[in-house]
Amino acid sequence: MFTAVTVLLILHGLCAVALMGVLSHQAFAVLFPAKSTGGFVTAYRAVSAARFTNASIVLYVVTFVLGSVIYPAYRVSARIWIETARLWPISGLFEMKEQALAIGLGMLPFYWLIWRDAKDPDTRTARIWTTSILCVVVWYSFLAGHIVNNVRGLLGQ
Amino acid sequence: MNITRVFGIFAAVFAIAYTAAFEFHWELFSYHPKLGTFGWGRQPSINGPVMHWYGSMGTGLVVAFAASAIALPFVQKKPLPHWIGWAVPLVCILAWIWFLRGFFTR
Repeated sequence: MFTAVTVLLILHGLCAVALMGVLSHQAFAVLFPAKSTGGFVTAYRAVSAARFTNASIVLYVVTFVLGSVIYPAYRVSARIWIETARLWPISGLFEMKEQALAIGLGMLPFYWLIWRDAKDPDTRTARIWTTSILCVVVWYSFLAGHIVNNVRGLLGQ
Repeated sequence: MNITRVFGIFAAVFAIAYTAAFEFHWELFSYHPKLGTFGWGRQPSINGPVMHWYGSMGTGLVVAFAASAIALPFVQKKPLPHWIGWAVPLVCILAWIWFLRGFFTR
């Protein structure tokens, strides 16, 4: 019933959800730092952002590797169907996802470096931008992957 | 030597080299998913689609490691500004949006 690709795709999705959560927490904490832990939104931002760095890197790499392993299955079946159906924007969503994620992968060593000392004022701007870029890339990739994966159901074809 | 000083250069050069490899067809290798075989450089499709994505990343990694190794002794005394590590990849991502606009306008 389930092929290995299906199982890996589900794992890929679960890792992506965890990665989104970790990076969103960190991005909010660095963009809108909060000192108190009053309400839910304030508590969401009032975390020790640096503690999320290693988890983000591990989850990014694991999610990326899982995606790379199942990519050929997409290329030989799903993408051909999408192109035959002339759903070019859907194909474009996935193209953008693969490019952004690859560039994000190359940023990970730098991301680790600037979070090593989270109190260094010299790297504060880099921390804000790098974390925000990675967060947007991961959110976009998750949504694009979700749309591509469910294209037949979402578009009724 | 402190190798962490080249991490910003690595991020920037990887983004540029990866983008250039895709745009100018400088892939290190190609993969034929139906056959399960690899071939050096950019190859045409054989009995099914051909994938260049892995090869573009390969090119990006080789060029980024080489550039980082070359830059390593020069950045020990004078570190480069931190914006190189995020601004260059950001520009490359924006360039990709421009390159891929045809998918959304046809």
